[in-house]
Amino acid sequence: MRDFVDSRSRSKVELWASLGIFVVVAVIPAFVSNEYWLGVVIVSMYFALLAIGWNLLAGYTGQFSLAPATFGMLGAYTTGLLAYDLGSTARTGIPAAIIVAGAIGFVLARIVMRLRGPYLALTTLSFAEIVRLVISNSIEITRGDLGLNVPTFVEGRVTYYYLMLIVLLAVQLGLYILLRSPAGLYLRAIRDDEIAAACRGVNIVRWKTYAFTISAAISGLAGALYGHFAQLVSPELGLISQTGIIISMVVIGGLGTLVGPIGGAFLVYIASELLRDFGGYQLVVFALLVIIFGRFFREGLWGLLRAGFERVLARRVVQPVD
Amino acid sequence: MLALDLLFNGLIIGVFYSLMAIGLSLIFGILKVVNFAHGEFYMVGAYAYTLAAIMLGLSPWLALPFAFIIGAMVGLVVERLLMRPLYAGYASWGLMRDEYAVIITFGLSMLLINLVDKIVGPYAFKGPALIGVSRLYIGPIVISGHRLIAAITAVGVITVIMLVVRYSLWGRQIQAVAQNRFGASLAGINPAKASAVVFALAGGLAAMSGALLANIFNPTPDVGVFPAIKSYVIVVLGGMGSVPGGIIASLILGVLESFGSVYISYQYRDTFGLVILIIFLLFRPQGLFGQKSREV
Repeated sequence: MRDFVDSRSRSKVELWASLGIFVVVAVIPAFVSNEYWLGVVIVSMYFALLAIGWNLLAGYTGQFSLAPATFGMLGAYTTGLLAYDLGSTARTGIPAAIIVAGAIGFVLARIVMRLRGPYLALTTLSFAEIVRLVISNSIEITRGDLGLNVPTFVEGRVTYYYLMLIVLLAVQLGLYILLRSPAGLYLRAIRDDEIAAACRGVNIVRWKTYAFTISAAISGLAGALYGHFAQLVSPELGLISQTGIIISMVVIGGLGTLVGPIGGAFLVYIASELLRDFGGYQLVVFALLVIIFGRFFREGLWGLLRAGFERVLARRVVQPVD
Repeated sequence: MLALDLLFNGLIIGVFYSLMAIGLSLIFGILKVVNFAHGEFYMVGAYAYTLAAIMLGLSPWLALPFAFIIGAMVGLVVERLLMRPLYAGYASWGLMRDEYAVIITFGLSMLLINLVDKIVGPYAFKGPALIGVSRLYIGPIVISGHRLIAAITAVGVITVIMLVVRYSLWGRQIQAVAQNRFGASLAGINPAKASAVVFALAGGLAAMSGALLANIFNPTPDVGVFPAIKSYVIVVLGGMGSVPGGIIASLILGVLESFGSVYISYQYRDTFGLVILIIFLLFRPQGLFGQKSREV
């Protein structure tokens, strides 16, 4: 019971931390008017959405899918093909992207339900590669590696910026509510010990499927928004290296925490743009950080920060009295 | 005669696949994890071979063992620094060892790709051929001289490795640890040493296959991605951890791709194996030759 209360107060702190990040992001356009840098932050918000989706699956449910970028690509192609072939707008395209990505995620979840650990990783990796190869080879439908041109749907970069921020905020709040509800406990129980969770009456099949579906739907939403922003949808969105970037964001920020993926996404993407002028070693640095954090600090930067705070607080509270 | 040609070329590709997959299979056997940086061992070997030949002026026949040694060293370092927590039990991950392995090897793969990209550059090098003859005619079959010699070398290396794993003291220690880590340690076998040997061997073999293929697939930083995916398919098809199963599965996959790319679809030749992988993981996770295992 104590852990239960503890995990609740923890997730509250994490939510406030992520809201703090959002506030900082919200005031950036007041100081930065450079279109390029606004674009960089918009792309980091795209990655933050993908990272949130993957964290729900990997960090909270313990299912290490290697296909988060693929669901983003599927969402982007859904709205892209609708716009390209039927001339539909983002108003139908984006909900369609969420539904299609979620539905494919649901089916995939049903298929891989019994697989764990390395088997799950291999299956989702193959799924990701198959989808990417099919999309890049179906030239008559998707124009292959040339990609599809997708129209934008809002005027101006700043509008898009705040639209992305609102979506990110909504997803984050939704996830917070989900994780605070009994569902959040079921998911974490499955992560920690699937068999024990089943013995205590958690419907494993149902909750794993839900987690997979929601994660895929979030990724689809992210991909669709990105497609309309970049005005180009190409198979590169689904490369394994993209998945690598998403994983490194979550691991560096803090796996299995609410604020980790968001902090990690902004940190990694913005830092990599800044580092680009200094020899382009950004990916080397991030890969190294992934290994170091994965090896020594499972909860990432957020875990380090929290441990630091807790030590300071403990020192202040516990004053030995003679 | 086309069929014979396809069969022969498929078998040759299969030989290279199996050189790559043996290491992955041994690693899975002993640590029960999938090494997602296996393609990067291959890449390191391809570069070591090519650069040793171009820059140091080494003869290709000396560059081959050089690549093996470099790959083995990389494997050894990786095992010591990153894989130890899997069995020494001091990682911060507790019971989530599979997840730890996925993240660490994925990060390692990113690190090696980008490190080589920065140090050597993103451009492709042309690996030197082992033999100058460009075309050989064996009956109705046409094959490049390098491909044939490389395949014969690979068969030789595979035979040696098979014999070593099966009969030598180290090899039998590896088998024992793969069967039962705890039991092996009770019998006085050092599991840490066995893991180190396996990683060195796996790194060396993958590097060797990269070196042998450097003339056919010119090394670039991400050249290892596809061979790695092929070897995942192979270890699943042959049964995770089974070396003979892996070799047979490699030959099957090579022939299948060779025929499939002509008779089914050239564009989708890389997807056949992936579909097989998913089907096997779902319906026959022990592979063609693996044994059903139970938890002790």
